[in-house]
Amino acid sequence: MNGSVCDRIRDRIPDHVAGRLAPGDAAEVARHLEGCGECRAESDLVALLFEGRPEAPRGLVGNVVAASRLRGATRHPWWGLAAAAVAALALGIGMSSRSPDPALDVPVYVSEADDREPLWLSDDGLIAGAPALEGLSEEDLMLLLQEMTVGGAA
Amino acid sequence: MLVRNSERWASTTDEELARRGQDGDEAAFEALVQRHHATVYRVALSIVSDPDLAQDAAQEAFLKAYRGLGGFRGEAAFRTWLLTITANAARSMLRRRTRRKETELDQAPPVVSGGPDPSEQAVVAQEAAVARALLAKLPEKQRLSVQLRVDEGLSFREIGEVIGSSEGAARVNYFHGIHRLREWLR
Repeated sequence: MNGSVCDRIRDRIPDHVAGRLAPGDAAEVARHLEGCGECRAESDLVALLFEGRPEAPRGLVGNVVAASRLRGATRHPWWGLAAAAVAALALGIGMSSRSPDPALDVPVYVSEADDREPLWLSDDGLIAGAPALEGLSEEDLMLLLQEMTVGGAA
Repeated sequence: MLVRNSERWASTTDEELARRGQDGDEAAFEALVQRHHATVYRVALSIVSDPDLAQDAAQEAFLKAYRGLGGFRGEAAFRTWLLTITANAARSMLRRRTRRKETELDQAPPVVSGGPDPSEQAVVAQEAAVARALLAKLPEKQRLSVQLRVDEGLSFREIGEVIGSSEGAARVNYFHGIHRLREWLR
C-alpha cells in the first residue's frame, strides 16, 4: 500500500465503480487495483454499495409533475408576493398572523453554511464511534483522515 | 411526453432550467424533476428509512423547490440546493410522523444459502443488500457522505454543502463510514 498513491486512488474509487471516470483515469485506477489489495477491497465494498442502490419508484416523476401543476396555480411570483405584502400593509393586516409558507423553507445561500439553520437534529458526535468533526480545523481533519487511512483500514 | 421533454432539455444545464422555471416555464421544472428524482428519492430514503415516506418526502422536496425557485440565486449548484431542500423536507416529515418504522438490519434480505446452485448474480445481489443495510446503520452524516459520494458522484465540497459540513469534514465522514462498513463486513 503506497500512501499518497492509494489516497488519490481511493478518492476516485466511487467514480471508477460507477463508470464516471474518463477512459484514461479509469485505466489508471484499474491498474492500481490489480496490484493493491487494500484499495481493491475498498473498491469491492463500494461496488457492492453501488450495485445495491435503491431505484426510485415508478410513477414518482408523474406524481411530482401532477402535484406541481395542481399547486402551480397557488405559486406566487416575486412581484405577486410583493403586491400582496403592500396590499396587506395597506389594509393593516398583520403579516405575523399568517401561517408559515412551506416555500420559505428553502435555502437561499446554500454555499454559505453558516447562514443556514442546522440540517441535522441528531448529533453524530453522540453516537459511539462517530467523531465530532465540526469544531476541528482543516489541519486536524486531515490528521484524523491520515490516522484512519494508515492505521485503520488495514 | 416525459421522455420527449427529457430529450428536449438534454443539453441544458440545471441552472438554466432553474432560471426558466423561475420564469414560470413548467416544462423546464419537469425536466429538473426527471433529471434528479432518483437522487432526491435516495437521499430522502436514507434519512426517513421508509420507502413510502421517502416518496412523500421526495415529492414534498420538489414542490418546495418549485415554489422556492425564486430563492435559488445560482451561487451554488442547483443539485446541492435541491438536495439540501430534500434533507430538510425528509427531516420535517420524520418529525411529523408520530409512529415511524425503524429499519433494522434484520429487515434486509437475509443472507441464506441460495439453494443448491445459486447464481453468482443472486449472491452479489444478496451481498449488496447486506451492504446497504449496514450503510443504513451508520450515523447520519457518515451515511449521507457515503451515499452521496458512491451513488450520486457528488464531490466532497458538494457533500459538505448538503450535510452542512466543511469539505474536509465530509471527506472524513466518508472514509470513516467506509472504514466501519469494511469492519462490519469482515
